[in-house]
Amino acid sequence: MNGFRQTAGVALTIARKDALAELRGKHAATSTLFFAAIVLLLFGFALGPDSRRLQEAAPGLLWLAIVFAGLLAVGRLHLIETQDAALEQLALYPIDRRAIYAGKALSGLAAMLVLGIVLLGAVAILYGIDLAGAWPALAATLLLGCIGFAAVGTFYAGVTVRMAAREVMLPLLMLPVIAPLLLAAVKATATALGGDPFGELGAWLQLLAGYDIVMLIAGAGTYGFLLEE
Amino acid sequence: MKTRVVGIIGLVAVVAAAVFGLFVVPADLNQGDAQRIMYPHVASAWLGYLSFGVTALAGLLYLWKRDLRFDAVALAGAEVGVMFTAFAIWGGMMWGKPVWGTFWQWEDPRLTTTALLLALYVGYLLLRRLTDDPSRRATRAAIVGLVAAIDIPIVHFSVIWWRGLHQTATIGDPSKLLHPSAPPLFIIALMSMLTAFTFVWGYLMIRRYQLARIDWQIEEHGRLGRISAARRAAAANAGRAVAPALDARTEEVAP
Amino acid sequence: MTDIGFIVAAYGVILGGMAVYAITLRRRLASLRDVSLRIRGEAAAADERPDEAP
Repeated sequence: MNGFRQTAGVALTIARKDALAELRGKHAATSTLFFAAIVLLLFGFALGPDSRRLQEAAPGLLWLAIVFAGLLAVGRLHLIETQDAALEQLALYPIDRRAIYAGKALSGLAAMLVLGIVLLGAVAILYGIDLAGAWPALAATLLLGCIGFAAVGTFYAGVTVRMAAREVMLPLLMLPVIAPLLLAAVKATATALGGDPFGELGAWLQLLAGYDIVMLIAGAGTYGFLLEE
Repeated sequence: MKTRVVGIIGLVAVVAAAVFGLFVVPADLNQGDAQRIMYPHVASAWLGYLSFGVTALAGLLYLWKRDLRFDAVALAGAEVGVMFTAFAIWGGMMWGKPVWGTFWQWEDPRLTTTALLLALYVGYLLLRRLTDDPSRRATRAAIVGLVAAIDIPIVHFSVIWWRGLHQTATIGDPSKLLHPSAPPLFIIALMSMLTAFTFVWGYLMIRRYQLARIDWQIEEHGRLGRISAARRAAAANAGRAVAPALDARTEEVAP
Repeated sequence: MTDIGFIVAAYGVILGGMAVYAITLRRRLASLRDVSLRIRGEAAAADERPDEAP
């Protein structure tokens, strides 16, 4: 399967390039993490000080913070491509467009996973959530949720990166589409933390997985059209 | 002139269906007269979803054929659709207050999905407005419309699953109308309203399409006019017989 | 019957909104058709003019 290996190779190269750019960059990644943590703090002020209420709301607040910070992260990953017409140059190579999409989505996923793990820890501390015992379920939820967000975010970041009002258009276009992901991820998280008394966890994870597959296919299929501009 | 006929049929049909639904059909046993709101509400919702399907399909056809007329159809579908979707939400809220006691209900998958549909529409239309180049606009709109269309069924099913774990019996279930055991007069009222609305929808779609085409022609004319005017000015300034070779497709040259 | 207000609000906005939109479309089409005819008239006239370059 020479074609597939070449595509995968290209995707990994792009992902590695993005990762290196982030690591050498001007601490934009850490700023995003701090932003997310501040958001969690503010949620505490908004819904507190009753810790019971915060604990009940914790899964929702966690994923809201991931979404808001994630918007910044995926947006920025495309912004670096606008310098020196990097995207156009990428598009000139005789490679499968889907490889470019996969590469950007992969680096998006990496960014989202880092975000998610850090925020999970922050939520445990700030809202007093006991994570023990729920590790596997939480890890699965985080992974599936971040894959979906990266898939959708990469697509919409590509659409909006060259627009004048990109900062507002990215969330405006993306958030309605992300609603099922948010719904399912929060439910899965809450179920996992609550011990899953009704055995629903599997259903929510399936919904997440199905969403991920559909969105990855849709994103990969349409991303190529953006590169013709 | 066939369009005008469609419009007149729609107008007459809507008035007739409204009279039927408001004065002829009896009130519901449980919901009372508020039931009458269901007829335009459901009809609007269906046409809102239909319009979005048209927009997504037209976008797909544009990506395939690169004919801007498909893009005009997509635009018409989006504008007409956002209107019907807004009507559907408004009708749902007006029905909800007397029947549920609240304007909004999170557990009704139709209401929440329709609200998200409205958000998707608004995003689509804003995206179009913020893109100037016609072919870039058409391409962007097409792919955004496609992904949004794919999202709609996912939203609908996930809200149903979401609700499934919190079964509360609501007195007024909007899906009652679609139940096979619904009173025949109610079904007739709904179907006649839907038919009437569909004629109006067809009329509005045709007119909006025509408007989009004329808008584009005027836009194109303006653009070509500026290019040829610049070409003439450059030729005159050069004072020679040779005018700079400008391809008419190049980007706009500042006068 | 207190429901009447909601019924009137629902029907009024929906039916009225459709009518307003239809009328707006007709007006815009009518005015733009004039512009379009004028443009095509200019284009036809320009075609008949001799070439600009000496």
